Amino acid sequence: MSILWQEAMLETFRETTLRIAHLLPNLLALLTFLALGLVAGWLVKFFFLRVLRAFRFDALCERFGLGSALAKTGKHQVPSHLIGRLSFWLVFLLFAFMGIDALDLTATANMMSVIIGFFPQMLAAVLLLFFGMLLANFIAEAALIATVNAQIQEARIIASFIRWGVLIFTAAMVLTQLGIAKEIVVAAFSIMFGGVMLALAIAIGLGGQSIANDVLEQRLRRKKVEQDEMSHI
Amino acid sequence: MTMTKTVWREVREQLGDRGKIEVLVGIPTFNNAKTVEPVVKAVKAGISKVCPHASVLVVNADAGSQDGTPETIKQAAGPDIPTAFVQHLEGGFFPGPISLHALSESGVPGREHAFRAFFTVAEELQVKACVVVDANLRYLTSDWMEVLLRPVVEKGVDYVAPLFRRARYEGSLTNCIIYPLSRALYGKQMRYQSGGGYGFSGKLASLYLTKNVWEGEGARYGIDSWLTTVAVAEGCEVSQGFLGTKIHDGTLNGIELSLLLAQAVGALFHLMEGYQDVWEGSTGSSPVPQFGPPYEPGPEGAAVNVERMVRGFQQGLRDLLPIWEIILVPETLDGILSLGLVEAEEFRFPAALWVQTIYDFALAYHEKALHREHLLKSLTPLYLGRTASLVLETREGTPEDVERAIETLCETFESMKPYFTHRWRFS
Repeated sequence: MSILWQEAMLETFRETTLRIAHLLPNLLALLTFLALGLVAGWLVKFFFLRVLRAFRFDALCERFGLGSALAKTGKHQVPSHLIGRLSFWLVFLLFAFMGIDALDLTATANMMSVIIGFFPQMLAAVLLLFFGMLLANFIAEAALIATVNAQIQEARIIASFIRWGVLIFTAAMVLTQLGIAKEIVVAAFSIMFGGVMLALAIAIGLGGQSIANDVLEQRLRRKKVEQDEMSHI
Repeated sequence: MTMTKTVWREVREQLGDRGKIEVLVGIPTFNNAKTVEPVVKAVKAGISKVCPHASVLVVNADAGSQDGTPETIKQAAGPDIPTAFVQHLEGGFFPGPISLHALSESGVPGREHAFRAFFTVAEELQVKACVVVDANLRYLTSDWMEVLLRPVVEKGVDYVAPLFRRARYEGSLTNCIIYPLSRALYGKQMRYQSGGGYGFSGKLASLYLTKNVWEGEGARYGIDSWLTTVAVAEGCEVSQGFLGTKIHDGTLNGIELSLLLAQAVGALFHLMEGYQDVWEGSTGSSPVPQFGPPYEPGPEGAAVNVERMVRGFQQGLRDLLPIWEIILVPETLDGILSLGLVEAEEFRFPAALWVQTIYDFALAYHEKALHREHLLKSLTPLYLGRTASLVLETREGTPEDVERAIETLCETFESMKPYFTHRWRFS
């Protein structure tokens, strides 16, 4: 009885020790990956910051209205810093996932291959989002200036409408790119876009007949907007 | 370079062996058959008075007329004056995009290509003088050649800029920004009027061809916006010729005004980058020689809708504030914000605040603080505010009062130039 008890104890102890001995290198690997992730992330962030500064990226974003758009969302950071931080976390997460994969757990098996397989789509989605935001701000700013110069009182509404139109379109493209509820996104976007256009058509057709008539007359018949306008040049 | 060679080859083929040409007359056209005949006849008569023995060549650069404009010019010039014809639209000498957005009163698209063709031919023929006149002028007389051509031929002048008698407040974009800013920068009291007609020496025509204004960013601005600035900044013998009263056919609504403003001011800002070493050390200003009758302020013009201008300014203040915050320094912005509180009749845009605004815009353009076209166009409401203020300040006075107000503005631009130069150096 005593021998059996001893053997059971020793067997359990041996197995646990073996398991720990197996897990320890994996744990060490996880910690190493995390440490490497921190260093690599910092290096990539540093590299991006230097390159973006060299190309005057912040000034470029400012010119396209992205700086002021970020400020509006409460992000009081220059775009290059944001990209630097994003790149740091991307690299760190990549290393962290490698570490988790090294633990060889059943629950996280194949996680790395799934993430790597998804990475190109994610990168494309991030780029799409970035350029979509740039385009939205640029077009909205151009529209705002043009409508203010034409003294259209609803200038800000028109500019906001354009900004959100482009942003929604971008969001739909990003979600489609990521493969998230593809059919629903396409259907929702089509319904929304079609709905807005229909609403506009009805609004102009019923409510703004005379305005539309005046605008078309001014445009097509080159009717003078203001008879007493002077020549500026 | 290839395009200019093509132009010259074509003109040479049309000319044959004509010997030495002394005076080149350039006429840019686009469907001007109805108006071009009296223009050519007046030019011909004028040249026969100024230099009757000079050999003359008329070059017509056409943007694709469908109404027989080139044939009309040939007929009007007659057999005694040789004519050459170049076309600068599709299939012509300058295929490819034409800066149709570059507005000019002449109504000729791609007007800069026409000028480039004239200057190319002038250089190849080593002409003494080159005169360019618009084909849609209803007020051109033979006396124009006395003013545009004689100073170049007889007095060694390089450039004769047009100077017109304008109705009160006409040309206020020139008077509120282009003239005072250029005068403060380059130190010459040129009125920077444009269009109608110009006189160039052969030397200046060649110089223009070497400048980096025909392609790239410079080419985006209409040629009328930079002809005078380049001549002044290059230290040429510049002058002005009084050509009488300018008659206008059309007016501009809000959108066209902002485009015009962006072109004229954009050209000036663009050239400031290249001529920094010229304007940085220049202080004060000096008058330039003037030919023709003495300049006189214009008569009372059509009524000006000041209320609409003030409304435009106030809307800009309401809607474009986030953009102006990027461009203007806080001190300037505070001054502008305070203008939004007054009624239309009491509205005044102080000269010093206006000067500081323009200098801030020039610096923001230099620093690329915003997309440049947006930056330039966002100036429109402020310009409307300043123009409204000028009208309100002087409408009860005489035309001389308007001239005095413009002169005061010019002096303010000159006195505040150190503010600009200092900030430019440290930007």
